[in-house]
Amino acid sequence: MAVQMPVTVPSGDGTEMPPMLDLREKLPYHVENPTPENVVERFLDAFAAVLEYTDYKPLLDSYCRTTNKCNRCSVTCPVYRVTGDPRDIPCYKTTLLLETYKRYFTFGGMARSRFTQNGFELTSELIREMADVFYRCTACRRCTLECPMGMDHGLITRLGRYILSLVGISSKALQVSVREQLEGETHNTSKIPKPALLSNIEFLQDEFEEMFDVKLEVPLDREDRDYVFFCAVSDYLMEPDTLMGNMAVLYAAGDWDRWTIGTHNYDGINYGLFYSDWHLERIIRQLVSEVTRLKGRNILVGECGHASRSAHDFVPVFGGREAYPVVSFLEYTLDCVRKGKITLNPDIIEETVTYHDPCNIARGGWIVDQPREILKSFVRNYREMTPGGRLNYCCGGGGGLVSIDEIHEFRMEIGGKVKADQMMRTGADIVIAPCANCKKQLKELVEYYEIPTKVMGLHDLILKAIEIPGAKPAEERKEEAALFEM
Amino acid sequence: MQAWIDILMGPVFVLTFLIMVLGLGRHLVLQLDTLLRRKGDRLRYMPWKKMARETVSWMVPVRHLTTGNVLFSNSSFLFHIGAIVVPLFLADHIALWEKVTGWNLPVLGPVVADVLTVLTIFTLLVLLAYRSFFRKMRVISRPSDYSILLLVLAPFLTGFLAAHPSMNPLRWEAMFMLHLLSAELLFVLVPFTKMSHIVLIFFDRISEMHWQLKPGAGDRVANALYGKEAKV
Repeated sequence: MAVQMPVTVPSGDGTEMPPMLDLREKLPYHVENPTPENVVERFLDAFAAVLEYTDYKPLLDSYCRTTNKCNRCSVTCPVYRVTGDPRDIPCYKTTLLLETYKRYFTFGGMARSRFTQNGFELTSELIREMADVFYRCTACRRCTLECPMGMDHGLITRLGRYILSLVGISSKALQVSVREQLEGETHNTSKIPKPALLSNIEFLQDEFEEMFDVKLEVPLDREDRDYVFFCAVSDYLMEPDTLMGNMAVLYAAGDWDRWTIGTHNYDGINYGLFYSDWHLERIIRQLVSEVTRLKGRNILVGECGHASRSAHDFVPVFGGREAYPVVSFLEYTLDCVRKGKITLNPDIIEETVTYHDPCNIARGGWIVDQPREILKSFVRNYREMTPGGRLNYCCGGGGGLVSIDEIHEFRMEIGGKVKADQMMRTGADIVIAPCANCKKQLKELVEYYEIPTKVMGLHDLILKAIEIPGAKPAEERKEEAALFEM
Repeated sequence: MQAWIDILMGPVFVLTFLIMVLGLGRHLVLQLDTLLRRKGDRLRYMPWKKMARETVSWMVPVRHLTTGNVLFSNSSFLFHIGAIVVPLFLADHIALWEKVTGWNLPVLGPVVADVLTVLTIFTLLVLLAYRSFFRKMRVISRPSDYSILLLVLAPFLTGFLAAHPSMNPLRWEAMFMLHLLSAELLFVLVPFTKMSHIVLIFFDRISEMHWQLKPGAGDRVANALYGKEAKV
């Protein structure tokens, strides 16, 4: 059931504005069960519990005072730029939660409500609006870079989603996946059982052999290895080339005996990052326990923005001083390139290539230059997509939106519109997006807007150009692939 | 009237100024407490350099002036120059400081002071107009967002008129009293309103710190609400 929008919205100056733009009305965000019973009381109870047990209070205290409402964030928000609806302004969303906090959890707010008749009151309509606005945000955090006060609207959006999830308001697609990952039998979001994983890996090995004339056996459940590999589990179903690219790099670099995949837990996806502290931590614990079981030394995360960020940022937070180091596959590959451990043939890729920065790894400045350095080492026609790097635009499927099929049109018409324009403007033949979510969203955008470009992962491209000693040369593989495509 | 002025410049000034300093001090202590005690061990992963660089870049936001709404951004920037420099370095204010501290401080020339004051008043009016006449600004504005601008405007306007008798419609004493009252009201309000960003701006840029979530908190929240058997 789609969210019912409130009839009018207070404009702050006593008047009320027309409810919404057509586009917004046609494409509401899809949240199940928007108003459970006693939602206001339950929301406030959940908020109180969150304030009691977590560290958010000083943040909210500070934000309540410094929120400047200068609207700079609106200029940067790709969703607002398309809808033009003031309720899509990041600061507006943040204000909803801050007002609730001020009114019910600060002395000043509680005192003021006693003396004034028309102060802020939380209603089920407002909660419904929060469900809508918090889930319309792609959580790309671009607005954070432009806020003079340094407010992290992404963090507040996430906190809002967390509190909503505690009263049963969340996106079904995300919740079902997390339930399977934490409480299901397969412990992964795509519900891939171990036998299916094994047959997928067998398929990858056969394909690899056909491609390179090299017979490999993927090391499963090997103990005492340097790297325990986790990718977005959906890659096993949807992105065989990315995984074979990963395999090729590991093999060519001579590190085949240094890595393994655990068969108890092989999913790097962590939707907790998008909407729940509780789920985030439990998924991290699950991931860490697999590494401990295998006596691994590092966590190696495949091409996935949010999986990389959730492991990189939160394994140390929840794991303490003994936490396993987290390495992104992009960092690992760059290291191999720099040390000359792998050879990438510069004559293979003739197309124009551009790079899309996944928000989760680029916004914080963690992975911006590494993939560019790798690409420039073997791609002749590299072209930047501007703005890029930390200032990139979200693909439009961030914050878990890409997993929700019901909002496909929202993702195409609103969330991804700016990105689609940007891809068209750049005019590259290939867009590299090292992120499972971005890849899915960008592929859908390319199809929807009929953009003449191909979307793939970085290791898909590496797979084409890598030279492995004793294996079939890249040039020959390229000819074979051309024949196959004919 | 002079007796009132003496009271306003004496005990009332001290009291209100103290409220401001202590209030801001409280913010400082609370923020440091969050940083050092509550987040403690988890802070070793913080990108300190990056955060410091960004804080400085927003405190001297020259490179941010050409992005966003250019008129608003520049007005805001110029307003802050006047709002910081004039109250601190105006000759009459410096005389007060010197009386209290005995230090010899640099003084703004009268022309520079006038230009900066007029600039501050003008840019404040631009900000007020922008907030009032643009729909997208009105939607996110609350009454306090307007009133704060008027409250800040008051001491600059009254101070300017008190210093220029030819433009002053009231008696000098009356205008001077209004200047004192409005400034002292502002002192009191600083810690309780968004003016507390005088201190908090140094801490907001490190929101990055708040991604360092508290281990075990998620379980405790779920237990508190749904008991030990809480399910996803």
